[in-house]
Amino acid sequence: MIVPTLLGITVIVFAISRIAPGDPVSSHISSRGEFDVKKTIDVRKERLKLYGLDKPIHIQYVNWLWRVTRLDFGQSVKHNRPVIKLIADRLPITLTLNLIALVFIYAISLPTGVLAAVKHGRFFDRAISVFFLVLWSLPIMWVGQMLIGYFAGPAFKSWFPPAGISSIYADRLSFFQWLFDRLWHLALPVVCLTYTGFAYLSKQVRAEMLENLSMDYVRTARAKGLPESAVIFRHVFRNSLVPVITITASLFPAVFAGSVIVEKIFSIPGMGLLMFEAVANRDYNVVMALATIAGILNMIALLLADIAYALADPRVTFEGNT
Amino acid sequence: MSENNSLLSVRNLSVSFFAEEGVVRAAHKVSFSIKTSQTFGLVGESGCGKSSVALSIMRLIPANQGQIVGGEIAFDGQNLLELSEKQMRRIRGNKIAIVFQEPTASLNPVYTVGDQIAEAIMLHKNKDKTQAWKAAVEMLRKVGIKEPQQRISQYPHQMSGGMQQRAIIAIATSCEPALLIADEPTTALDMIVQTQILNLLDELQKQTGMSILLITHDLGIAAERADEVAVMYASRIVEKADPRLLFSKPLHPYTEGLLKALPRLGQSTKRLETIPGTVAEPMYLPSGCKFHPRCRTGCHDKHCQTFEPELKEVEPARWVACWHAPGYQ
Amino acid sequence: MGKQKEKKAIWGTTLGEFVQQQFVKRPINMVSLVCMALLALMAVIAPVLANNKPLMIRIEGKLHFPLFQNLSPADYCIFLAATVGFLLLLLIRRNHSNLEPSVRGAVLFRQLCLSCTIILIGSPLIFIFVPRRLEAADYKAMIAENKADYAVFAPIPYGYDRTDLMSRNLSPCRTHWLGTDDVGADVLCRLIHGSRTSLSVGLVAAGISTLIGIALGSIFGYFGGKVDFIGMRIVEMVMAIPTFFLIITFVAFFPRSLLSIIVIIGITTWTGTARLVRAEFLKLRKQDFIQAAVSLALPLRSTIFKHMLPNCIGPILVNAAFGFAGAIFAEAALSFLGFGVAPPTPSWGQMLSSGVTTTGRFLWWLTLFPGLAIFLTVMLCNLIGEGLRDAFDPRLKNAI
Repeated sequence: MIVPTLLGITVIVFAISRIAPGDPVSSHISSRGEFDVKKTIDVRKERLKLYGLDKPIHIQYVNWLWRVTRLDFGQSVKHNRPVIKLIADRLPITLTLNLIALVFIYAISLPTGVLAAVKHGRFFDRAISVFFLVLWSLPIMWVGQMLIGYFAGPAFKSWFPPAGISSIYADRLSFFQWLFDRLWHLALPVVCLTYTGFAYLSKQVRAEMLENLSMDYVRTARAKGLPESAVIFRHVFRNSLVPVITITASLFPAVFAGSVIVEKIFSIPGMGLLMFEAVANRDYNVVMALATIAGILNMIALLLADIAYALADPRVTFEGNT
Repeated sequence: MSENNSLLSVRNLSVSFFAEEGVVRAAHKVSFSIKTSQTFGLVGESGCGKSSVALSIMRLIPANQGQIVGGEIAFDGQNLLELSEKQMRRIRGNKIAIVFQEPTASLNPVYTVGDQIAEAIMLHKNKDKTQAWKAAVEMLRKVGIKEPQQRISQYPHQMSGGMQQRAIIAIATSCEPALLIADEPTTALDMIVQTQILNLLDELQKQTGMSILLITHDLGIAAERADEVAVMYASRIVEKADPRLLFSKPLHPYTEGLLKALPRLGQSTKRLETIPGTVAEPMYLPSGCKFHPRCRTGCHDKHCQTFEPELKEVEPARWVACWHAPGYQ
Repeated sequence: MGKQKEKKAIWGTTLGEFVQQQFVKRPINMVSLVCMALLALMAVIAPVLANNKPLMIRIEGKLHFPLFQNLSPADYCIFLAATVGFLLLLLIRRNHSNLEPSVRGAVLFRQLCLSCTIILIGSPLIFIFVPRRLEAADYKAMIAENKADYAVFAPIPYGYDRTDLMSRNLSPCRTHWLGTDDVGADVLCRLIHGSRTSLSVGLVAAGISTLIGIALGSIFGYFGGKVDFIGMRIVEMVMAIPTFFLIITFVAFFPRSLLSIIVIIGITTWTGTARLVRAEFLKLRKQDFIQAAVSLALPLRSTIFKHMLPNCIGPILVNAAFGFAGAIFAEAALSFLGFGVAPPTPSWGQMLSSGVTTTGRFLWWLTLFPGLAIFLTVMLCNLIGEGLRDAFDPRLKNAI
């Protein structure tokens, strides 16, 4: 099931790059070729041949795919380095940021969701629902910019640094100081990435818990004489966790895509910022590489979520779906 | 143990539920008592309030869904309605246990059967995990599950409906309760399994001497298995007696109607007899006797329409709530 | 009125009426709906609300109406579409009170076709007949030089493409209520005109994505088997790449314009609706009433449109509402990054990005107000979506 989807990702990315009007070569020659038309045509033909763009489209795809499997995404036009090296530099930063964000999202949503379900209908529940609805509607770029403006700039408070992931003098710090400096820099970006996530996840946890609270096996547990806390945690929560795991499958791509905006606002040298620059500079190789890798990462996350789901729910076997 | 050797004595129990349209009285002034080692049958149609009585004895009705508005439940010298939640928890699963209708839904799908039985044992009997598991295996053997050593680590979805119900009975009887409430335990099972489960309950009763409150809508089961039967209609008990007397010579028109509606072997009539009208809506119960709109005598009788009859003992060990029952004042 | 009640008693309550009753029950839903309508109204009459040219000016005794004379054909098209839409809503209300439920669907369809035709024929006609006037007359200068007798301006007397380098980056003051941006354009005016961009992108993109989703989902769900298998693989492939990444990839390769943004957002966000419709169709296919329809050899069109689709309409509408919010957000994000519509076309996202200058200066009015606009619009859509969800399935009211 994975291989066709991976192939499909490459097909889609490749198709987008080729459907577009114009070709990558025109931008190379336009500045020089106005005066000698014949020479322009010759140069153009040669360039096309150089990039393999004169072959039929399916051959182009196979060539590209073959190179991709060897992780050769070509050269970045702007940086003049192999794309894969660029990505390798940036990938760990984005992944760290995303993982920290995911951890925070889960750490906050699970307790709030459980509490909201247990105190269903009362003030806490209603207030949390309204609060999270508001949070969910807040646009990331607005929050990011406001955070920078009010908490990281000279205008208001200067509690956090406005950009980058380390201070300039970072390499002169001891390990713990360096770590603290890193975290201090990542604080605001993490806040930006998490708030939408935990508004969404908390709602789902609450909904699952509410549904499970009215199940018969909860009645059996109470009839055994179990204290209410054991009923909630050992029975309701444990059962609610199972579908919540599958939500990670949709949470990860959302957080990853959010990185683009957050990294741009906070100038964090990660994959998101690379994507932004590549699109702005029309660096096609980088764009295609990033789209493909984003797809692959997403698939890995989905796979992990599937495995976790199979482990958590004994009704699911490894062979197929329930 | 109070007078009459009774284990459980329910007096004037009234339970209300909060529905969207208003407050519904699910059980009204229900009174009965169960002796030790006795099987008490509670029969009635769906919605007459039998399950509410069961849940009230265990005090399992969530506070936002309903509440017990009156009466007293005497069990083992205590009034269950006056106990604190903590004290009640020590009784649940321990002294009084309950078995519900849908075995598949009543078992937690993510824990093994052994886990769920051991949970009850560890809670009440102060055993550690290994001892509890050993006891659980023994319970499975007692309820008639073959190869208990293997079954104990299986998940509920790997068992058939009958086996699941046996597992639930194992959970319920693991701490040797004095009273087992069986709320329609066999309704979701097929006929053969039904007999097996009921036989199992009988056997367990013989072994441990526990009482059983058997709630069912099946008159045949009640007649076969119970030592005393109470018939409920529209949240009230309308007749209570020994099943042999009850079913051979019913005193209340409702019981009469129920028995007449049963098809008999060798019956030659083409049309089955029915009780006219429909079951009263819990929200809009008629005045006076709740059965009067459907009763041949009661629908014309002004007295039946205005005054509600109480459950009275008209003969020794025969109780009925009907103005026109012989011997009723 | 007695006759009305009689009719109602015979017709019963249709799903639409039931949903309406549930929707109206909670006040927050009605408030959001009214606010949304006001926002739409503001977007439609934007050029009349905020314009450089005066509504009315008297020069040497003669009355001129420069604002109205200079409305572009696009403005007229929007007026036309809004009027047709409003009349359609009135017609629907009349349908509900006069016609019995079973014919309402067909009548509504005919009315929809009629309105689309009017719009589709009217728009080119407008473009042909309304001249695009490039009037360079500077009315404000005329007033300043006392050449005019008196003039009545629009409530916000600035145009959205106005550049006044003398008043760049002004914080809110009396003449510019919400300040100006870095080319001197009035922020409030650009906010109002920006609502046109956002709402049109939201509406059309959500419309495209819903239509694609319904079309594909129903095909996969109805035919099942191999078609469904291949279809679901395609959906998985599209979903494998995070949506925003996919959008940006498209944007990287395609020329930037309002239309391309709309189409790109439309063709990347259909997967949710498709999965939903497919799941419903798979479920419905097994149900007896559909099997009965098939066995009666009903035409496929009839089975799908009359029997199966109306059952899915709840989740589809809810998804459409959230899709609307998502499209507005996507457009704002793209413009914020600089990949969306280009200035001078006003866009809230683009205004937001100019809130922090390249030198690091924080201009709070350029961050707060556009951001607030995006936030409020998205929140209104979310509220309406939640309200619809609760209205369609009251059980889920517990799971807000």
